[in-house]
Amino acid sequence: MRRFKTYLTAAAFLGPFLLLLVIFQGWPLATMVRDSTRKFSFLNPDEATSVGLDNYRALLDDPMVVKSLQVTVLFSLGLVVLVIPLGLALALFVNQRFRGVKALRALIFTPVVTSVVVIATLWTFLLDPGHGLANTVLGAVGIDPQPFVTSTGQALPSLVVMTVWAQVGFAMILFLSGLQSIPGELLEAASIDGANPWQTFWRVKLPLLRRTTLFVVVIMTVFSFQAFAPAYVMTGGGPESSTVLFVYYIYQSAFTYLRAGYAEALSVLLMAIILVVSSVQLFLLRTKESS
Amino acid sequence: MKLMRIGAVGLAVLLLGTACTAAKDTASKPGCDKVVTLNLLRAQDTPPAPSVLKDWEAAHPCIEIKVSEVPFGQLADKINVIAGSPTPPDVYTYDGPNTATYASRGVIAPMDAAITAAIRADIIPATIKEHTYEGRLYSPGIRQSALALIYNKDMLDKLGITPPDSLDKAWTWDQAIDAMRKCQVGPAGNAKVWGLAPTQSGNGTPGPSYVSLNFLRSAGDPKADQQSSLYKTFWALAPDGKTINGWLNTPEAARGAQIYQDIFNKYGISPKAGIPNAYADGKACFDIQQPSYIGKLLAPDATFKTGVTPLPYVTTPITQTGSLTLGVGARSKHPKEAAEFVMFVASGPEQLKNSQGDHSMPVLKSLFTQLPQYDSYPLAIYRNELEQWGQPRPPGPHYAQYDSIVTSAMRDIAYGGDVAATLDKAVKQFEQIAGKG
Repeated sequence: MRRFKTYLTAAAFLGPFLLLLVIFQGWPLATMVRDSTRKFSFLNPDEATSVGLDNYRALLDDPMVVKSLQVTVLFSLGLVVLVIPLGLALALFVNQRFRGVKALRALIFTPVVTSVVVIATLWTFLLDPGHGLANTVLGAVGIDPQPFVTSTGQALPSLVVMTVWAQVGFAMILFLSGLQSIPGELLEAASIDGANPWQTFWRVKLPLLRRTTLFVVVIMTVFSFQAFAPAYVMTGGGPESSTVLFVYYIYQSAFTYLRAGYAEALSVLLMAIILVVSSVQLFLLRTKESS
Repeated sequence: MKLMRIGAVGLAVLLLGTACTAAKDTASKPGCDKVVTLNLLRAQDTPPAPSVLKDWEAAHPCIEIKVSEVPFGQLADKINVIAGSPTPPDVYTYDGPNTATYASRGVIAPMDAAITAAIRADIIPATIKEHTYEGRLYSPGIRQSALALIYNKDMLDKLGITPPDSLDKAWTWDQAIDAMRKCQVGPAGNAKVWGLAPTQSGNGTPGPSYVSLNFLRSAGDPKADQQSSLYKTFWALAPDGKTINGWLNTPEAARGAQIYQDIFNKYGISPKAGIPNAYADGKACFDIQQPSYIGKLLAPDATFKTGVTPLPYVTTPITQTGSLTLGVGARSKHPKEAAEFVMFVASGPEQLKNSQGDHSMPVLKSLFTQLPQYDSYPLAIYRNELEQWGQPRPPGPHYAQYDSIVTSAMRDIAYGGDVAATLDKAVKQFEQIAGKG
């Protein structure tokens, strides 16, 4: 009876939130999966017709699916590869005690809490090939003006750099919390053993930051697969589809090409990809934890 | 359980409250048996103007208008989302060329009953064509547009360049580019004063099909044999509204697209990135603009003199037409009142006020007699273009998709992409979408 009461109390506390979870996440997800087997546009959803797996078959014939996946993977790789060392370096720097360190941490973290649309708009001005600050600075050191987002070769790297700038503060905070959770006695022991700062970092801090690093990798990977605003605001997916991120292509399919059912199928595919990637990464995380 | 029940009731109240925020008819108002509220969706700074709404309220105190606004660039997306919602607007402001897209999907209702034969006879043919789908007229139209080349007269006078002031002497693009190159201050691709201002349409980057498709279509000829690519190039889309292969990617269209690309690359007379108000700020010699843009520029106190010359052409002069218009929501609960409102905004007196205010052209032919400014230079250029060269944008139920794909393709071409390959890619993309809906 006591056990039953405990369950009842737990259900009373959890129930409302589970209900909200079902309404605002479970239901939309189920609707998405159902609608991915329909043909319709948002203009006339009442006229949806069931097409079975046709939308999924169409994915296989659509070159833009492969292209947008390639772009997204490259974007993701670029982001992760740059954010990890930069975030860690910044965390090591602001983990020291010096005047203004708290203000510096807040400054680096500011872009994380700024609207992505605002940041993308800001960078659009910075990277303007004609009058942008970036080319003005390059010109001052004798480098020719660069086309940036108007070039197929530079557009995606430009988006990566912008996103790294916007997200590095988040990685820094995670690494900082990881660094500050390292027991002081371990660092002290290393010091007594005669380890120099580089050896302490390489042999003590970095191995203990493995879980944090994997967590940052997971977060940044998921974030990059969900990125939309940079392509929408800065490039419109161009030039020549060089920045057509997967979520941007979903948006285009649904709202520009009026193929909502197809967009839902793309969304299901994205969800599956993120689940697989995240599972693999979390598996690695758990393995290391148990070892 | 009690907690859950309270939570569920609270949620229900919340959802109900949200649903009830949509405009609903109010019970009464002095002098009215019932007050009807019409929901109007429009983009910021687009018709109907506040003065028009004031006129309406004065004349129809029992029918109130509740306006919802979105930024212009988000209007089409907003319509795509809200049209299928439980509370769709009663009246939409939308881009006229999208009529077939919205009509074919049951977003807007036909207005044949409200548009009398006399009014219909007075509407410019291009507008009738743009707003007709499967033989039914969906909007009377409220204004029309055409594109011409405007120029900084002070700058060109110093160079001794006098652009043509009538349609029969219109420049070809080769001639126009020559003048733009002479006028540009600074090196190609990095000018201080550009030969041609970046477009103010779309998001400011190159490519909007409203402007760029003129280059392609102008390389065609509507008088050529109907099976020839020259003929198909002029129309840019087959009459079925779906077939695009052999219409958009012809050798002639590629020639027009090459000229467009050369402006940004070979000659470097227009920037690839947008510059807001480049022409008005004196940072460009020429600009491709509608008449509604140049009102302030023609004012006596303008900082420099502006001239207007016909839109240059490749083989055949053309200017694509079409402007914002109003339509009655097919799912409106007050279709009669909504149609009445649309006809009021489209009426002669209101169109006249609109045209006198911002130089936009009316869709009623009879109104031009009351707008003498369109009889003489410079605005006569626009009127003559509309009447002699005007062509609707390629109509069809897939225009919205066509517009987006062509815009992206032309932006890629402006950025230096392979012309023929880019047009072929656009063709494939459109056929895949049009074929599968």
